[in-house]
Amino acid sequence: MHIIIIGCGRVGARLASLLSRAGHSVVIIDRAPGAFRRLDRSFKGAKIVGVGFDRKVLLDAGIDRADALATVSSGDNTNFVVASIAVEDYHVPRVVARIADPLRAEMYSRLGITTISATLWASARIHDLIVSPDLHNVLTVGSADVQLYEFEVPVRLVGRTVSQLTLPAEVSVVAITRKGRGFIPVLGSSFEPYDRLLVAAQTGSIGKLRAMLGLPD
Amino acid sequence: MPQLRVLIVGAGKLGRQTAKLLINAGNHVILVDKDPAALHEMKDILGDGAVSGDGCEPTVLEKAGIGQAQVVIAATGHDEDNLVVAELARRIFDVPRVIARVNRPENEWLFTPQRGVDVAFSPATLVAKMVEEVVDRGASPS
Repeated sequence: MHIIIIGCGRVGARLASLLSRAGHSVVIIDRAPGAFRRLDRSFKGAKIVGVGFDRKVLLDAGIDRADALATVSSGDNTNFVVASIAVEDYHVPRVVARIADPLRAEMYSRLGITTISATLWASARIHDLIVSPDLHNVLTVGSADVQLYEFEVPVRLVGRTVSQLTLPAEVSVVAITRKGRGFIPVLGSSFEPYDRLLVAAQTGSIGKLRAMLGLPD
Repeated sequence: MPQLRVLIVGAGKLGRQTAKLLINAGNHVILVDKDPAALHEMKDILGDGAVSGDGCEPTVLEKAGIGQAQVVIAATGHDEDNLVVAELARRIFDVPRVIARVNRPENEWLFTPQRGVDVAFSPATLVAKMVEEVVDRGASPS
C-alpha cells in the first residue's frame, strides 16, 4: 500500500517504521526537519518537510494514489483539516486522524472522520488494568468504547445458558471455543466445563460483567 | 439594515477592528479568543460579548451563543483553526452565513462552501491586489 503519514512525533515515527518494515511504500511529512531523527534506521520511505494541508506537499506525497493516510500531528485542528482533505478532495480509502481532545474526537466522528483519541483509549485501558486486571482483554474497539475479553467459563455458569451472561447492548457472548472448535452461540446455548468464551462488553458495563462472573469489585 | 448577531473568533487586530465597526453599525457582537489579554481592551464596548475560550471547541461556541448567531466570522491567524470554526459553525450549529479569513494565500483553495465557508477573504491577497493596481496606474498613465 502507499501510505502517507502527517506528523513525525513519537506516534508518527513509530507508525512509519512499522509500516515501512512491513514493506509498504510510506511518505512521512513534518514541518520541522529535525523531527525525522525519530525514524529508525530501517525506515526506507520518503520524508517531506512541509505543512500537512499544503496541496503541493500532499501531491508530492502522492495523495492522489494513496491507499491510506494517517494524520497524527500534535495539532487537533491540523489533523482534522488534513483528514477532511484526504476524504473529501482525494477520496483516500482509509483515513485516520489522531485527536487528543475526546470531545472534539466525537464531534469530528460526526463529521465523518475516523478518529483515534489517545486520551480516551489510554485512560480506558488503564482503568481496565486497575479495576479488572484478572480479565484477559484481547481487543478494544473504537476509542476503547467496547472491550473484548477471553476467559474460561467460571464454574458457577457451567450448565447455565448464554442468556445468563447477556445484557442487551452492554454484554454479549461473541463466541465459544469447545474442545478446540469455535462457534457462535445463541441465547439458549448452555455452557459446558472448560468452554473458552469470547465476551464483548461496553467499557462502562465492565462492573456488571464482573458481577455476573462472580469476580470481586 | 437590520441588527445582526455576529460571532467573531479571533481577537487579533482584524477581529477587534471588525468587531468595532459592526458594533458602531448597531449590531450585536460576540468576540471569542483564547487569550483574555486580547479581549481586555474590548471589554468596555463588548460587555458580555467578550468570551475567553478556544473558539475551535464546540462547547465554547455553544456557551458563547453561536446558536443565535446569523453570522460567524473565523478571523484567527491560523488557517486550520479558521477551517475548524467554519466547519463547526455550518455543520454542527447551522449558522446561516460563515465568513473566514485566509492567512496563507496557498490555502485559499480549502475555503469552500463544502467546508462551511460562504465567503473567504485573504488580507494578503487583497493588499497585494491593491498595490498591483496602484503600480499599474503608475506604469500606464491614462
